[in-house]
Amino acid sequence: MTDVFRSMWRHSKMSSLLSLPWARPCRAHGLLPPPLAGEGWGGGRHQWAADGCPLPVPPPQAGEGTLWQCLRAASGVLLVASLSSGAFAQTSPAPQPRVTIGYVDIAGDPRHEPIKAYERIVLKQREPPFAAAQVGIEEAQALSRVLKIDFALERITVKSADEVAPAVTKALQERNIHFFVVDAPAEAFRPLAAAVRGRDVLLFNATAPEDWLRRELCAREVVHTLPSLAMTMDGLTQHLVSRKWRDILVLQGPLPADAATTKAFENSVKKFGARIVANKGFKAGTDPRERELNNPLLLTAGTRDYDVIFIADDAFEFARQVPFQTVRPRPVVGAIDLEPVAWHWTWERNGGPQINVRFNRASGGRRMEGADWAAWIAVKMVVQATLRTRSAEFNKQREFILSDTGFDGYKGLAVSVRRWDQQLRQAVFLATPSAVIASAPIEGFLHRTNTLDSLGDDEPETPCKLNR
Amino acid sequence: MLIDRRALSLAALPAGFAVILAILLAVAPAAAKDTGLIFVSNEKSNNLIVIDPKTHKVIRDIKTSRRPRDMHFSVDRTKLYVACGDDDVIDIIDVTKLEVIGRIPTGPSPETFSIDERKRRIYVANEEGSSLSIIDMDQAITIHEVPTGAEPEGVYVSEDGKLLYVTSEVGDLIHMVDAEGGHVLQDVVVGTRPRRFAATPDRKELWVTAELSGEVYIIDREKFEVSGKIEFLPPGMRKSDVTPVGLVMTQDGKTAFVTLGHAAHVAVVDVPTRKVTSYILVGKRSWGITLSRDERTMYVANGFGDDVTVIDVRTRKATISIPVGRIPWGVIIDD
Repeated sequence: MTDVFRSMWRHSKMSSLLSLPWARPCRAHGLLPPPLAGEGWGGGRHQWAADGCPLPVPPPQAGEGTLWQCLRAASGVLLVASLSSGAFAQTSPAPQPRVTIGYVDIAGDPRHEPIKAYERIVLKQREPPFAAAQVGIEEAQALSRVLKIDFALERITVKSADEVAPAVTKALQERNIHFFVVDAPAEAFRPLAAAVRGRDVLLFNATAPEDWLRRELCAREVVHTLPSLAMTMDGLTQHLVSRKWRDILVLQGPLPADAATTKAFENSVKKFGARIVANKGFKAGTDPRERELNNPLLLTAGTRDYDVIFIADDAFEFARQVPFQTVRPRPVVGAIDLEPVAWHWTWERNGGPQINVRFNRASGGRRMEGADWAAWIAVKMVVQATLRTRSAEFNKQREFILSDTGFDGYKGLAVSVRRWDQQLRQAVFLATPSAVIASAPIEGFLHRTNTLDSLGDDEPETPCKLNR
Repeated sequence: MLIDRRALSLAALPAGFAVILAILLAVAPAAAKDTGLIFVSNEKSNNLIVIDPKTHKVIRDIKTSRRPRDMHFSVDRTKLYVACGDDDVIDIIDVTKLEVIGRIPTGPSPETFSIDERKRRIYVANEEGSSLSIIDMDQAITIHEVPTGAEPEGVYVSEDGKLLYVTSEVGDLIHMVDAEGGHVLQDVVVGTRPRRFAATPDRKELWVTAELSGEVYIIDREKFEVSGKIEFLPPGMRKSDVTPVGLVMTQDGKTAFVTLGHAAHVAVVDVPTRKVTSYILVGKRSWGITLSRDERTMYVANGFGDDVTVIDVRTRKATISIPVGRIPWGVIIDD
């Protein structure tokens, strides 16, 4: 896709959002935006206010424009002009303070490439959770009026993981943005954390589950809204143990992500008193010489019986062939069939259907997933901090977010930030493709202060000791 | 429910209007008055279960549109209106025939509503639409939509019909709406996920449940600000399970009863001192609550028990539970 097409596609998504029955006509923001700044598709910046309308963006830096951007800017101006009719005639009202949340993502992030079967049939969409952040901003609309503070979302798309840190520091210095939802892989966080250390910034990690970010990196400027691998694996293991499915066969894929998942699962198994009867590596393929690695029947044979098969397969290609292909009639969990997730589109309690519907509409029909929830709750936490402190001051907002305050995460027990590693404590859903079977912490798994801390790294266990 | 009771007293004021209405209705077959029948809406089985108050037997199963929730009678009690969230309609039920006789279209996912019969208006909170619909009852059309915070829920009409109070579950707000002009006049911030209202009979206070923060907020209606809050913790329950939703107040304004959702109890509150005096054990996810007119009996819908708990108000004890449909939401009595 060329830049222009991408841009138009994004704009058309916006306009479809605005045409929804519940969307209100745009209020004039006083002036037309100057041409959008950016470095091609990467570096493009777009702002949306709480009413879902494009907001003016500061003028571009000298020398940033190209032909493509001019074209894109033109389409943007046309769109804004058509949406906020009367914008020409009005003078700007006294500006309200504005809390802007940056949304940083990487163009062509492979983690958001759909997983496809032959003929490009899509097995998993894996879209970036930007629409969820927009839902969070949309929800703040009524509060803007009460607080006399505007909320806006600015998407900052960069070309590679290396550019995340410079883009964030630039947005902080030049545009006074303090909150960022970061949609980037784990490796982007090391330079990012170094770049913002000690500065007035709060980054919300919405898409990277890696445990090392919470343990070794351990950065005061990062709040992890996506559950860690340790949390999801603990949730899954609690469920298995509560069913008395204690003997587990592990099938591990070849990727580093599969190794990390397996390691987290092994820790959980140890923690909750289950047993791994065998750990077998697999390799997708049909080579008869490698049949011990690629044949589900041979992989699931063996003399020792097991209650359940756990599979770690980030690529998903092999996992989808395993259920009902096993030697013994045993359920499969992990990468397929029963997955531990931060959110599921079928969650029926705690207001789940309402947020699922709002997201479904805002995203053009997508089903809300874990990363979407993590991006949405990040925006919601900033909005709540503004509401409850009645302030647009960063330090007050940060203090509120990092205090023990609970936020309404639509999944039962209130979610809140763990002070030791700034992981958001939250329930983990155990979901099949069409239902949430259980919500962990499973009844019976207790904790001395908060049962949510039976999932993932508890204070005595973690090497990360922030906010002491 | 309290709103119904107030609607009744409203009807008593314009007596002339009521007489005219009665004459008009006299053309229809004799109205079923004070049958004492108990109606329970069931979100998941899409029906109303009708219970005989004496025998506690289910005497009728009325199929409705999908996801029936809030219910209100017409002033003359010949009709029962039921908001059906998954079909975007309010079903009209003939109380004599016990069958659906009409439907009024609403906005997306109507949950709770209020009726002002003097103005022939229905005010409906559209949970998924972030709006309050003002519906003309006679024409069955929406004449105005008031934008609200996301997930509006409880709707309360002031006694003079001039103001509406609406909760926004996501915004943690109570909106005060000009009923005539159809716009928000003022907002007040309360606890997390505000749900439903009850008003003290002296019209000075509005009580609102905040489901997630587990409290009842008390709003001074004159100043339109929070003047107090009540917290709950039934013995042996966790604070996080305390999710208050439904509430009713006795006609003398002395006692309030609050359903505590997942904490499976009804809290009894002394209204003047704002103190919790006792807790009554009911089923899980108790939401809907209603008092009989003589205030001797109380009914609670247990969403995760698929039953209704009957409570002896005097002894503060549950006496019997009656199996109904799937996920019961609300209870209303024709008395």
